[in-house]
Amino acid sequence: MIPFDFEYYRPETISQAIDLFHSLAKQGKQPMYYAGGTEIISMARANSIYTGGVIDIKGILECNEFGYRGTKLVIGSAVTLTNISESNLFPILGMTVARIADHTIQGKITLGGNIAGTIIYREAALPLLIADSQVVIAGFNGTRQVPFSQVFDGRIKLEEGELIVRFIIDSKYTTLPFFHRKITKIDKIDYPLITVVALKKDERILVGFSGLCNHPFRSIEMEDCLNDKSIPREERIKNAISCIPAPIQQDIHGSGEYRRFVLENTLMDVLEM
Amino acid sequence: MNAVGKTVPRKEALGKVTGAAKYNDDTREPGTLHVKMVTSTCSHGFIKSIDVSRAWAVPGVRAVVTGDYLPVLCGSVVVDHPPIALGKVRYFGEPVAIVVADTEQLAQQAAYLVNVEYEPLPVVRTISQAMEEGAPLVHENLESYKKEIKDVYPIANTNIIDHIKIRKGDMEKGWAECDVVVEGKYIMPKSDHIAMETRNVKVKIEPTGKVHISSSTQSPYAIKNELSKTFGLDEGDVIVTAPLIGGAFGGKAPVHLENIAYIASRAVGGRPVRLANTREEDIMVSPCKIGVEAKVKLGATKDGILKAAELTYLVDAGAYADTAPRMAKTIASNGTGPYNIENLWCDSICLYTNNPYSTSFRGFGNTSYTFCIERTLDKLANALNISPFDLRLKNAISPSHTSPTQVKITHSNTGDLAKCIYRLNELINLQEDLRVEVAKNKVIAKGMSCFWKTSASPTDAVSGAILTFNKDGSINLICGAVEMGSGVKTALAQILAEKMNMEVDNIHVQMQVNTESSPKHWKTVASMTTFMAGRAVISAAEDAIKQLRSIAAVVMRCDPSLLEVGGSKVYMKNDPDNYIEFKDIIQGYKYQDGNAFGGQIIGRGTYIMENLTILDPETGKGKMGPAWTVGAQAIEVEYNTREHTYKILRAATVLDAGRVINPKTAKGIIMGGMSMGLGLGSREHFIYGDHGGILNSSLRTYKVMRFGEQPDYLVDFIETPSINGPYGARGFGEHGILGIPAALANALTRASQVELDQVPIYPELIWKTKMGGYHDSI
Repeated sequence: MIPFDFEYYRPETISQAIDLFHSLAKQGKQPMYYAGGTEIISMARANSIYTGGVIDIKGILECNEFGYRGTKLVIGSAVTLTNISESNLFPILGMTVARIADHTIQGKITLGGNIAGTIIYREAALPLLIADSQVVIAGFNGTRQVPFSQVFDGRIKLEEGELIVRFIIDSKYTTLPFFHRKITKIDKIDYPLITVVALKKDERILVGFSGLCNHPFRSIEMEDCLNDKSIPREERIKNAISCIPAPIQQDIHGSGEYRRFVLENTLMDVLEM
Repeated sequence: MNAVGKTVPRKEALGKVTGAAKYNDDTREPGTLHVKMVTSTCSHGFIKSIDVSRAWAVPGVRAVVTGDYLPVLCGSVVVDHPPIALGKVRYFGEPVAIVVADTEQLAQQAAYLVNVEYEPLPVVRTISQAMEEGAPLVHENLESYKKEIKDVYPIANTNIIDHIKIRKGDMEKGWAECDVVVEGKYIMPKSDHIAMETRNVKVKIEPTGKVHISSSTQSPYAIKNELSKTFGLDEGDVIVTAPLIGGAFGGKAPVHLENIAYIASRAVGGRPVRLANTREEDIMVSPCKIGVEAKVKLGATKDGILKAAELTYLVDAGAYADTAPRMAKTIASNGTGPYNIENLWCDSICLYTNNPYSTSFRGFGNTSYTFCIERTLDKLANALNISPFDLRLKNAISPSHTSPTQVKITHSNTGDLAKCIYRLNELINLQEDLRVEVAKNKVIAKGMSCFWKTSASPTDAVSGAILTFNKDGSINLICGAVEMGSGVKTALAQILAEKMNMEVDNIHVQMQVNTESSPKHWKTVASMTTFMAGRAVISAAEDAIKQLRSIAAVVMRCDPSLLEVGGSKVYMKNDPDNYIEFKDIIQGYKYQDGNAFGGQIIGRGTYIMENLTILDPETGKGKMGPAWTVGAQAIEVEYNTREHTYKILRAATVLDAGRVINPKTAKGIIMGGMSMGLGLGSREHFIYGDHGGILNSSLRTYKVMRFGEQPDYLVDFIETPSINGPYGARGFGEHGILGIPAALANALTRASQVELDQVPIYPELIWKTKMGGYHDSI
C-alpha cells in the first residue's frame, strides 16, 4: 500500500515526457520517470520516497529499441532485464542482469531503471562500463550522446528532468571472452557481496565491480595492476586491491574483510581468463 | 474402508489451488475502518510525549489512540504486556499509538505524523547483559504482575521471568563414572516465522455488547478467554471466527493484534475495523522466535555410555514474557534430547531483554536444545573416537529408562528411536563416508541428529467434536481445530471415516472455526491436534454409533449389540445383507403410517489431557506431555574448501509416527519442517542496528529457503503405536524442523573441520571461525 496519491502519465514521445516532467516539477509535484516500477513502488510503500506524479516511459518507442544498427548494439532504457538475458545479444550483460533480483522481478526491472536506481549495486552498469559503451540522454535542451563512463560515477549524473534513452555498444565487445561472478552471503538471490564482471580484449583484462564499495565502478588503475604481467599473479592481485578506489563495503551481507577474501579468490579466477 | 493410512486429497485443496479459498483479510464488511500502528523507534525508554495533533488533522481520521485510552495489561503466562505502550517502550517496533481512518492510506499517512519523544534508557540487548548483576530492568515491577498460571516464578528486581531446575540422579557419582567429558557453548539467535499470510484481524462491537473477532489465529478460544479477562467482557459476548490460515508456525498462537484491534473498534464506537500487518510489521512488531544461548557438559564412559550431563540454557524472551517461560520449561524438561542420562543437572532461565518479544515457534524450544546436545554428542564421539551413529544408538532412549522429569519411558509413550536410527542409516548411510574429498576443493560430508518432542499444554487442555448428519447419510464434522495448512481437518475426517467404516468423501468438515458453535479445542498448536481432536472425534463417533444402533435396533427388532455400523448403514453382524441405511434413521425413523421416533442424531465427543502434572519446582519431577515423538535426521552437504560455500544435497528424516493417517500429507509436513530447519541452520536470524531496530526486517534482506534451493528430501516413518493416540497416531506437525539445524552444523563441522557452534551457518561464519576472524592469504 502506497500511503500517498500520485498522478500517472504515459507519454509516447521523448519530448512529451520531458515537457511533462517540467510542468509537473513546476507544480511542485516532484515527478519521477517510471519504467519497471519495482524500486518506486517498494520505496514508496516503505515511505522512503515521495512523488506526486510518475511519467511512465515504457510507451516511448526509442526507449524500447533493442537490436543491432549496423555494427552497434542499441538497447533502450525501458528494455527489461528478462529481454536482455533471453536475447543473448550481449552475453556478459545478459548474464549479469539474469542475477539481479529474481526471475519475476527481472521481467519488470529495466536497464535504465537498474542503472538510475538508488539501490547501490546497479550491476547492469558493469558490462556497459567495461565495454566502453555510449549513452543517449534526453533533456529540456535536446538529446546528447556521451561515453557512459563520462556520466557514470557510481551513479548516473543526470540533470534535473533528464531521461536515459538508450545505450550503444560497439559489436566488437559483444563477442569478447567474458567472466561473470556474483557472490552473495548465502542465497542465490540476494544483493551481492561482490559481483565481478570482466572482458578480455587484445590480451588485456577489463574489469568492473559491484558490492565491493558503496557504488559500482571500473578502475583503470586496478586494471593496470591486474594486467601487469611482469609480476606474479598474487602480486598483481595484491596491488589491485591496494588501488580499490573507496573503502570496502561493510554491512549486513558481510564484513569488509570477508569481501576482501572473496575478492582475492575471484580475481585469481579472473586471471585464469 | 480403511480411511486411515491412505493418501487422500486435502478437503480444502481444491479451493486453495483454484484461488477460491478465502483467508481472513480477503473479505471485508462494508464500512470497515482501517487501523495503522505507530511503532517505537527506541528499544528501551520512557515516552516523554506523544503529539497526535497532526495525525488528527488528516481528513478521514476517526481516532488516534495511545496506551492511556484503555490502560490494561495482558499475557497468557505473566500479565506484563500493555497492548499499546504505557509510559515506557521495551522494544524497537512496539506499538505506541494507533490511528483509525476511513482508508488504510489515510491511516498510514496520519500514523507517520504522530510525533513521539522518548527518554532513552540503557538497553538490554544480550542474554549476558540481562543476567548481569545490577542490569537495567526491562520490567521494574515484575513482582506486581498477575500470573495466569501457577507454575511460573519471576524473580523481583531481576530480568528473570522463570528459572526451571531439573535435578535427577547423583551428579557426583555420574561424573565419577565418566572417562571422557566434553563441553560446548552454543548460540541460536532470534528469528521470525515468515508465514505466507501476515497476521491480521477484524473486530466489531455490536451495540448489544457482542464482540465479533475474525482473526488469522491458531487460538480462537484463547482470544475469547483472554479478551474477556483483559477487558472485563462476558466470555459469551466474545465471538471469534478463524477461517483458513495461511501458515502460522506458532506465530499465530498468541493474542496480540486482537487486543489492539479491539481497542481500535472501541475508540470508534464499535465500528468494524481491520488491522493487517505489513511484512515488516509482522517481523518487527508481532512476536518472533526465542533466542537461546547454552552451555552443555556431557560425560561418558570410554565405551560411549552417557553418564552425566550439566546443562544451562538461557532463553531470550525479549520485551514481554508471552509463552517464552513455557518454552524454557520445555527446554529444561527435554533438554537432554532423546538419550538416557541418569545423572542430570539442568537449569533453564528465561530472561527479559529489549529485543522483540517471543512466542511459540515450530518446535517450541525443542530445536534449540537439540542443536546444543547434538553438537556436543558429535564432539563427544570425536573425543571417544567412536562413530556419531554408534554413540547415538548406544544411548537412545528406550523402555526402562526415565525422562529428565522422571517419567517412565515405554514404547507407547515414546516410540522406537533405535528403529528410526537404523532406518535412517538405510536411507543415507551414516556408518561410512562421513567425509569424502570428491574433487579439488570439494568435500561431501554428512551429519546427523536425533530429536524428541512432547507437548507442553496446560494439564487440562481440552478438545471436542460434534457430528451432525445429512439426509443422504453423510456426516458433518465440527471441531475447534483451525486449518492452517497442516491438513488437520482431512486427518480428522479420515479418523471419523475409519471409525464409522465409511467413505472419507461422505464426511464434510466445517473449515471455519466459530467459538460460538464449534466445541472448544484448546489451541491448534503443539503438534497435538490430530491426537487431541482425533480422540474427541473417535469419542463423538462412538456416541453417534451408540445412537444409530439403538434406533436401528428398534426398527430391526433386535438387541443393539447385534448391530454393526459401516458403509453408511447399520447392519446385522451375522447377516450384513440385513441392514438399514443411515438416511432412514439419522433424522428419525418414520413408519409407513407416519409415526416417527428417534429424533436426529448428534454425536458428541470430548477429550481432556490425561494425568499431566506441573513440575516440582526443585527437581522438575512431573509429567508435562502425553507422549513423545522421536526421530532421526541427517544432512549431506557439498562443501567448497577454498570459498567455504556449500550446497545442501540431501536431507533425511525418519520419524516414529505411531500410525500415519495420510501418508503424502505427512511427508509434506515433515519436508516443510525440514525446510524451515534448513532456514534456521543456514540463513535466518535478526540483525540489530545501532539504533536497536532489526536491520533485516523485509524479505529483501531476511532470507528464507527459496524454491530451487531445497535438497533432495528423504522421509520415512516407523509405526510404533501410541496406545492413547487415535489409531495409534502420535503428533508430528512440528517435528521435521527439530534436528535439522544440528544435523547441518554437524555436517558442516565435519566438512570444514572447524567447530560450528552457532547458527545460522553462512560461508562468512565458517571462514571467520576458520581464520579466527583474520585473513591475509596473499
